[in-house]
Amino acid sequence: MDISSNVRIGPFEVFFPLNSNAPAIKDSKKESSADEYPGRLFIVEGIDGSGKSTQLSLLHKWLESKGYGVVFSEWNSSPLVKDTTKLGKKKKMLSPATFSLIHATDFADRTEKSILPLLKAGAVVLCDRYAYTAFARDVARGMDRKWVRNLYDFAVKPSVAFYFRVPLETAIGRITASRDCLKFYEAGMDLDLSDDPHESFRMFQGRILNEYERMIHEFGLTVIDATLPVEVQQAQVRRIAKARLDAATELRVRP
Amino acid sequence: MKQTYGTLLPGMKLCDLAGKLIVIEGTDGAGRTTQINLLRPWLEELGHAVLDTGMTRSALAGDGIRRAKEGNNLGRVTQSLFYATDFVDRLENEIVPALRAGFVVLTDRYIYSPIARAMVRGVDPVWIRNLYSTALKPDAVFYLRLGMDQLIPRVIFSRGFDYWESGMDFYPGHDMFESFCNYQRALLAEFDRLSIEYNFETVDASPDARIVFSLLKSRISEVLATNFHRPSIPILESAAERIAASREIPAASAFGDHGSRDVELLLRPFTAASAARNGNSNNHSHVSGD
Repeated sequence: MDISSNVRIGPFEVFFPLNSNAPAIKDSKKESSADEYPGRLFIVEGIDGSGKSTQLSLLHKWLESKGYGVVFSEWNSSPLVKDTTKLGKKKKMLSPATFSLIHATDFADRTEKSILPLLKAGAVVLCDRYAYTAFARDVARGMDRKWVRNLYDFAVKPSVAFYFRVPLETAIGRITASRDCLKFYEAGMDLDLSDDPHESFRMFQGRILNEYERMIHEFGLTVIDATLPVEVQQAQVRRIAKARLDAATELRVRP
Repeated sequence: MKQTYGTLLPGMKLCDLAGKLIVIEGTDGAGRTTQINLLRPWLEELGHAVLDTGMTRSALAGDGIRRAKEGNNLGRVTQSLFYATDFVDRLENEIVPALRAGFVVLTDRYIYSPIARAMVRGVDPVWIRNLYSTALKPDAVFYLRLGMDQLIPRVIFSRGFDYWESGMDFYPGHDMFESFCNYQRALLAEFDRLSIEYNFETVDASPDARIVFSLLKSRISEVLATNFHRPSIPILESAAERIAASREIPAASAFGDHGSRDVELLLRPFTAASAARNGNSNNHSHVSGD
């Protein structure tokens, strides 16, 4: 193929269209949602201590018991990138910008190598945290809201994005009960909000919570009241997921 | 005062950046490293403190990128973001502090090489420009340009074919030479487009390195002598406008791949095209006046 003749290979799938006066070359670009593929994509979001991972794990087991082909992808888990992230965190080398970029790199690798091909193959893909985590955290660290959204422009829009909504104090209570030591970046210590890790964590999580609240409407997040009993939440999650799976006709069945 | 391409990173202050940011760009084999190795001692002899930097040299992401490339399975979006991570780490920790301390920063490639590579691989042009909108606008960008006829022997007889320099991730097949040519040709066309969009000063890289060096010396002397911003650069608001503007001139017809044309470019870098577009009557920003 001769690219010099200005032929463009189709752009990567689009998640959040940019509000720019896009030139003609953007015409080939279409908004991409997981529902356009044979597979389905369910993701969970929420602040630390919202109980989202518990809920996703229960959904995972249930889907498997029903015979669906399910694959799980965790935030920050790309084998190509995670050593760099680890290095940056360990040596406290990450600025808000490089923190944002290295997580986007990790997410891109998982999107290119696993999430997208799996959706095309008809799998049910589950993600613990998604682009919204980056939107919340990076903006809480002072990154430009629009710039971060553009960064994740390549992400596939999930079939359902569950947001486990919980008051700050409830979440903090759950976290501090289960952990005595907060990590540097987890507590937002890089932002110099407070010398006390617990106070810093509280302030940082508060900012993140505000960002999530803004996103409910912006991205149509499916809100689950995370103060309800685990079983009640899970029943809601399963009902919503089931409706989306029933509508999917090309799902691949587990062998 | 220095400016960015549209996005200011948190905590970054642009006032007091007294140094000069000078970019040496060009395709593989254009002699960028050779020139920087000549320029650095020359600048130091003149009494300038020099920082030289280049792609994948960041403490944060350099090793990670090299490891990822060894596996030959780095996707195009991942690749773009990994390079951007490397770039921003150097921007924040090397380039900006050096400029603040009054250094001349010589950078072997800047944001334009990763943009060109991403464009060739079909990454969204607006996305990649927004990604790099945190970059500082350099004081000068020298584009060492080689036509395909000179580029091929320089690369293959110096270090042989490389998986990534041959675009094998993007042009799959068994013929590495064919893949190499296709990839380098596409890159060259992209660089030519970027040279207009970002107002590069094009320097013909085909003559002897000493000739290129003397040309660069005279232009860099001018850049260092002036405290004014380069004149007559049209200020385009958005990345989309810049792309649209650069697309007005089709690469294939405006810039040939032949040696004969390169000779013209030695002294007259794309002035016709850029001057026509800019309505530019002041040739200050070019390698030499017409």
